[in-house]
Amino acid sequence: MTTINLDFAEELKEYSDDTALECFNCGTCAAICPLVHDNFPRRMIRYIQVGAREKILENSDELWRCLHCGLCTHTCPREADPGEIILGLKRFVVANWRRS
Amino acid sequence: MFNPRDIIETLANNVKQTTSPFGIPKFMVNKWFKDLSLPKEGEYMLITGLMYQFAPFIEKSTQYLEKYEGTKMASLLKYAKYMPGYLSGIGLAMMTSGKEKKDAGQPLKDIALLLQKSKVDFGYRPDLDNYSGILLYDMGDQKGFVVHAKKVAQKLKDAGIKKIITVDPHTAYAIKELFPKYTGISFEVKSYFELLDLESKDLGLEVTIHDPCFFGRYLKLSDIPRKVLGNLGITESEIRNKGEFTSCCGGPAESISPSLSNEIMGKRVEELTICLGNLKKSGADVEDLSTLLVRHI
Ligand code: SF4
Ligand code: SF4
Repeated sequence: MTTINLDFAEELKEYSDDTALECFNCGTCAAICPLVHDNFPRRMIRYIQVGAREKILENSDELWRCLHCGLCTHTCPREADPGEIILGLKRFVVANWRRS
Repeated sequence: MFNPRDIIETLANNVKQTTSPFGIPKFMVNKWFKDLSLPKEGEYMLITGLMYQFAPFIEKSTQYLEKYEGTKMASLLKYAKYMPGYLSGIGLAMMTSGKEKKDAGQPLKDIALLLQKSKVDFGYRPDLDNYSGILLYDMGDQKGFVVHAKKVAQKLKDAGIKKIITVDPHTAYAIKELFPKYTGISFEVKSYFELLDLESKDLGLEVTIHDPCFFGRYLKLSDIPRKVLGNLGITESEIRNKGEFTSCCGGPAESISPSLSNEIMGKRVEELTICLGNLKKSGADVEDLSTLLVRHI
């Protein structure tokens, strides 16, 4: 079962601007991302919105497929800055490893 | 796919120990300037950030990673962090042929020549020319990046440097955008092609331009190379996804998953520095902007 962590968005503030709540899940970013796999990066942003911290840690390897190419951010209609969100998640995961 | 944690910790350790992500000592990679007599000072300081110099080593290490991706050997990588950075780096340097290393320096020589022809007043000091740390930033090792960037920026500041010329998009982005934000030290940064002022010609050539992500989207500089080429009578054939909408060459995925990088690159080449190495690998007839320009001045 996935546990929901309501303070997750707060925790992430340390690693990037909290723009994830701007996202209305239109999927434009996932359509343009050169990775074109499994709804990336939209799915990760959804995980943040619903506080699925563990899901992100479980699937963290996927984050490093992101090329930081910026196409998603460039086309996002809501200025949610998905590219920076993914970078922020990488920082969160790295910090998490180093703590463990 | 490799375990990102092993790769990131290996790169981070290498940067910490040797200031190079691949653990190759600087004097072994940075040789391009040796037979040019470049001045040590000028209005601008040329900072290559060593990305061109690393290119053949990235290629070599990717070939090895590619071979082991998805095999049992891939899991051995985690032990790499126990190897001193220099040791693994020198190994990598020895596996890379002299010709590959020499070719990597050519664009830098070409760039220096183009700048001289354009009468730009610049100097070069290998002791100040360091890796920017951009890979650590991209990989999410924020702490490691900031520590490294502070050292590099401080050194430049102590030497009284105010204006910098960069040659690749990743170093340009690091010094122009990230250094002020994370080290508090700012420089005036120009990409070399912004300063070119070459004699006009009418060559009547046509080329296709691949805009690196960092030039096209992050630094919004894609119209400048087009102006420089236009001045020489070189026009651009149409390609889908250019300028701010440029597609990725796939290079940055290389160290984590060479097969994924190949997949992305294949897509780009059907339409048409890290990009260069990666696009070449697919067999396309590509060359660096500087090589093209030098041939025609
Ligand atoms: S494009 Fe923007 S708004 Fe749409 S799903 Fe992606 S992040 Fe959300
Ligand atoms: S920055 Fe990452 S998530 Fe966004 S389009 Fe590029 S590869 Fe995909």
